[in-house]
Amino acid sequence: MALLELRGIHKSFGGIQALRDVSVTIELGRVHAIVGENGAGKSTLIKLMMGVLTPDAGEIRLDGQPVVLQNPAHAKALGFAAVYQEPLIYPHLTVLENIFIARPMRKRWGGLDRNAMVERIGPIFERLDLSLDLLFKPMRELRLGYQQMVLIAQALVYDSRLILFDEPTSILSGTETDHLFEIIRYLRRAGKAVVYISHRLEELLAVADEATVLTDGRMVGHVDREGLNPDDLLTMMMGKAMREYRKAPLTVEAGHSGDRPPLLSVTGWSKPGMFEDVNFQLWPGEVLGFYGQVGAGRSEVAQSLFGYFKPDRGEATLNGKRLMPKNPAAAIRAGLGYVPEDRKLQGIFGSQSITNNMISVVLPKLVGRLARVRPLAVTEMVERYTKALNIKIGALSDTILSLSGGGQQKVVLSRWMAEDLKVLILDEPTRGIDVPTKRDLHELIRELAARGLGVIVISSDLPEVMAVSSRLIVMNRGRVVASYDAVRDSLAEDVLRAAIGLDRRQGEDVL
Amino acid sequence: MKDMALGWRTPPPVSKPAAVRRVGLGYEGILLGIVILLVGAISLGSQGNFWNPSNITSVLVNTAITAVPAAGMTLVIVTGGIDVSIGSVVGFTATVAGLAFENHWALAEAVPVVLVTGALAGLLNALAITRGKVPPIITTLGTMSIWRAVVYALLGGNWITQVPIGLTNLFVLDKVFGIPWSFILAMGLVLLLTYVTRSRPFGRFVYAIGNNEEAAEVSGLPVNFVKLLVYTLLGLLTAVSALMMLGQSPLIQATTGTGFELTVIAAVVLGGTSILGGRGSIVGSFLGSMLVQLTSDGVILFHIQPFWEGVVSGLMILIAVFISLLNRREESR
Repeated sequence: MALLELRGIHKSFGGIQALRDVSVTIELGRVHAIVGENGAGKSTLIKLMMGVLTPDAGEIRLDGQPVVLQNPAHAKALGFAAVYQEPLIYPHLTVLENIFIARPMRKRWGGLDRNAMVERIGPIFERLDLSLDLLFKPMRELRLGYQQMVLIAQALVYDSRLILFDEPTSILSGTETDHLFEIIRYLRRAGKAVVYISHRLEELLAVADEATVLTDGRMVGHVDREGLNPDDLLTMMMGKAMREYRKAPLTVEAGHSGDRPPLLSVTGWSKPGMFEDVNFQLWPGEVLGFYGQVGAGRSEVAQSLFGYFKPDRGEATLNGKRLMPKNPAAAIRAGLGYVPEDRKLQGIFGSQSITNNMISVVLPKLVGRLARVRPLAVTEMVERYTKALNIKIGALSDTILSLSGGGQQKVVLSRWMAEDLKVLILDEPTRGIDVPTKRDLHELIRELAARGLGVIVISSDLPEVMAVSSRLIVMNRGRVVASYDAVRDSLAEDVLRAAIGLDRRQGEDVL
Repeated sequence: MKDMALGWRTPPPVSKPAAVRRVGLGYEGILLGIVILLVGAISLGSQGNFWNPSNITSVLVNTAITAVPAAGMTLVIVTGGIDVSIGSVVGFTATVAGLAFENHWALAEAVPVVLVTGALAGLLNALAITRGKVPPIITTLGTMSIWRAVVYALLGGNWITQVPIGLTNLFVLDKVFGIPWSFILAMGLVLLLTYVTRSRPFGRFVYAIGNNEEAAEVSGLPVNFVKLLVYTLLGLLTAVSALMMLGQSPLIQATTGTGFELTVIAAVVLGGTSILGGRGSIVGSFLGSMLVQLTSDGVILFHIQPFWEGVVSGLMILIAVFISLLNRREESR
């Protein structure tokens, strides 16, 4: 029986279409998987179902009746519950209080009736194999996996009809994952509607009754249990294929000639829980792509090379010298540059002018006598950059927030054009940027490499890494699972397969 | 329950944990120990002057004056907020009281007006914070200077001493078993609010908001209403405290209440409430108030120059915050 129907849903954020004409039907007693690459629109869809966002167009029907989900509380009241990747909890309240906070059971005079709550939750905890002793522990003392279980228990207490799991296994170990699957199967038997969102295809085969595939905000397919096979799903996910950007000819072909020494060489780089035994080399003049799903450990490798934290094991050399920076400032002195994933948080100084954002890294070089910044040197440098980057700006003194996302990213890149830079790491450089500007940025990245830099591009956007890289490394769950010395369009399916873990060797369970 | 419909077996017997709620004597127990030690030390050091009835009364009344608003401040800080305007609110409500007394209002007429004034001052803060989305520290810094300026405008360089003796009788002189009414009132408030915070849904909402405001919004808790209530309550309790002060020393001038917010916040922080919100207890703040007042009484009895009192209470706050941060670091491991 159809519980929730989404019909012709559209949603866009500032010019970017997150969802286009998506229709999904969620039925009671079935597990409905939503599959797609990062950025395919999965999380937007969840937010629409949980009342966090409202659609621009389209209709949502509950039990056949049109409904407008006003806010998350409203969705909860209608019997929808969500278990997010990072559980939303009250760390200092007890597990019992966390479960019952919004609908406490009360005594005659309105006081909290904790005994009644314990009695109510008892059978549910029993069913989920959770000890009752947990109830009086502060939530923060529980591991993330248990916190998830508590939220599932909460959904059962509230008699939720729709339970939505968002990448639930990304924080779980192997046995915890198995346990979760048992619970999901139990929920299905109990007649609940379950929505399961994941990019791990092999998991879907274990739990899903049907799957909807999203690519680029579009629904590209819907399959039933019989049709659920990884190859077909993969082909659907590949839908947009390599149409979007055609690769410009590489100016410096194949940077890694056998005789030249590598610029950056990393061996046995490990930090258990984040990445294990990562090895790679980077030659001057090449763009090395790092592809993988979010959480595969790519950014963590970059951040540890850049001195945010230390790996537990491993060696790295930059230009023949040992590289183990204490902090980012030391990494920059050694000739390493890093453009982080989250521009707003880590990349830009929002309230500062474009000029100041451009010069922030090279500032020490612009300082004259008596520690005064030389204004002429600043102007000269900024002019050189704006020309080189083809940035369209009103005034350099405007704040950087006046630029579009793509413009901001160009400014951030310009910072790293200082001459003594040897290696530049770009983490998701074009996320949330429109296609033409993406192309500009790809050109720019290749130009940087052509000047003799070694560039690493971390991206979850398959067409992008295929278009921009001269060599490619694929990571899955903290390990390098594949590497390609030449990048051809025909490899795309192989690459995606490796990143999703379909060719994962048996018996290897990496946290 | 629809157990069968969910496919459950017959519900298994639930073994109820022996104590449904663990009695948290941890930090409060330590504080009580420190209070007792301090009383012992001051008794010995002052050759018994501490136990002089008038000194005891003064310590108890001073504790009540701090503890009453500290109870409200605890709720505010637990929600993740703060109110630094209460020193000025003391000044303002005391001035309103003084002007009423000068115009020969009876106590029964003046007191309600003063209490409502305090509550309105708290409500104003709450509205700016919940409707205007102004951060609490900024809001209350603003109202702090506004109320102080109003007091200066009303009093100028004058002062009012015309406070009816009834107030002094009520809060200081009349006693039950040697304990002044103000202290009994403070203890009653502590008991009531302890019950509310531990056993009423409202009290749990206060903690939930301080733990994770986003989650509280998402689960549909009445976040703004709870904030409105705690700031208003703090304003009301501040007015009560102002009346107690007038009972103890019947003098209203432009500087009345200056710096009082620091004393109260110190008591709350010493009492174990996290300045980051989400945890703390009313009982702890009560013991913290006692600690602050015992320290300042000790300074007087030992004939130490008064500015050392500031040094000592400052050190105590730093140590208390440091300990709580250490705990936090342990937890995050």
